[in-house]
Amino acid sequence: MDDEKHFLETIRPLFADWSKNTWRIEVAISADQALGILKDSQFDLIVVDVNMPVLDGVQFLSILSRRYPDLKKAALTGLANEEKRAACLTNGAELFIEKPRSAEGLKSVFTMLDELVTWRPQTGFQGMLRRVNLQDVIQMECLGRNSSILEITDRKMSGRIYIEDGRIIHAGVGSLAGEAAFQKLLALASGAFQLQPFEPPPARTIEGQWEFLLMEAARVRDESAQPAADAAPEPARILDTPPGDGQLPRLMETLICSGQGKPLYQWQCYDANGRVELLKKISQYAARLGRLLPLGKFDRLEIQLHDSRAVAQAKSDRLVYVQAAAENGKPPA
Amino acid sequence: MNPVLDQWLASCVRSAGTLGCGVRLPDGTCVSRSLHEGFPQNHLDETLRCLAELSPVFSGQGLFPRWLTWAFESGQLRVVIRSDGALCVFAAQTNSLAARNLDAITEDFFALKLAD
Repeated sequence: MDDEKHFLETIRPLFADWSKNTWRIEVAISADQALGILKDSQFDLIVVDVNMPVLDGVQFLSILSRRYPDLKKAALTGLANEEKRAACLTNGAELFIEKPRSAEGLKSVFTMLDELVTWRPQTGFQGMLRRVNLQDVIQMECLGRNSSILEITDRKMSGRIYIEDGRIIHAGVGSLAGEAAFQKLLALASGAFQLQPFEPPPARTIEGQWEFLLMEAARVRDESAQPAADAAPEPARILDTPPGDGQLPRLMETLICSGQGKPLYQWQCYDANGRVELLKKISQYAARLGRLLPLGKFDRLEIQLHDSRAVAQAKSDRLVYVQAAAENGKPPA
Repeated sequence: MNPVLDQWLASCVRSAGTLGCGVRLPDGTCVSRSLHEGFPQNHLDETLRCLAELSPVFSGQGLFPRWLTWAFESGQLRVVIRSDGALCVFAAQTNSLAARNLDAITEDFFALKLAD
């Protein structure tokens, strides 16, 4: 994808020839056109010009990483610098190449791209990453303002976390209760958990905001992690899906920031700065809408996309963005 | 006035808890109905313009919403965006019948034939 049509016209026959016609090459002069082509058939590799009008290459790489995680991506630019290189690699590019100015240079680009096409990444931990973990489930329950009980078990212990209207109100494990119990349960490296319908807890022992409870639990877990573990721990898994809705949504992206937009926690967020800008805009527009119509305090924005759903919260002390899709590909209810 | 749109807006405002609704057509024309004194027509029209302005911010982030719900303390705004550029906003009181009907109204708006 490149907005320089003559460049595309030059490389297309050359690359086809050098690949001995084993490459099928499609060209696009805009992100829009490229997305249309990607939608219609499967590709091994996309080469993206970084300096594009309207939607620049870095943003486009970020979109591609979300929509086509298995597609290999190379970024090409006429003006290479370290900042651009870092932005492209962070947003999913496997290769960052400076645009060649000679035929030899073009041949060398072709060789690199050919190597990239035949390269197969190690897939050992991909299956694990796709599993929903305990922290993700708690985030979804809290952002969805749900009420439920998370029952967590491992070989040695069993505990419960109570969530009411999106607030963590109690946790208990063995003789521990409150935040200490919550942290102990979140620190489990393996085990299973099950979502149960809500029922009142024996006591209300937790009052803090769920974002900070999760962050604190993550900190405690990191500090207590054994540095020389022999085997990678198996992440906690869900035993059963909750009653009624069918499958749990699969988290695609999470970002939690301070009220000033400083990222505090992010997971699979390829363009954190872009998301922070979006959250700030949402906050500005929520204030504008609130001035036009007497709707009270802004709580959240739900964004229904074609294959997923996102929830954005913009409060004075935090900005939150979570996007999720159902395992079956349908947007979560 | 587009008679199809007029008729549809009239049918939308029947549920209890409806505060107002409106449509911004692809040419920028706004048509709105107010059902509550706090939601006058000119404010609903301005809301439609404001929401239309925000659409490119989402697409710039690779997000192409089918609809959005702005949830506030005492009400919510359902914003539906069609591929032809028409945008609808529906304001409903929280926990009202109108709020429960938002999904049905959304689907109706997608199916609405605005042009001949």
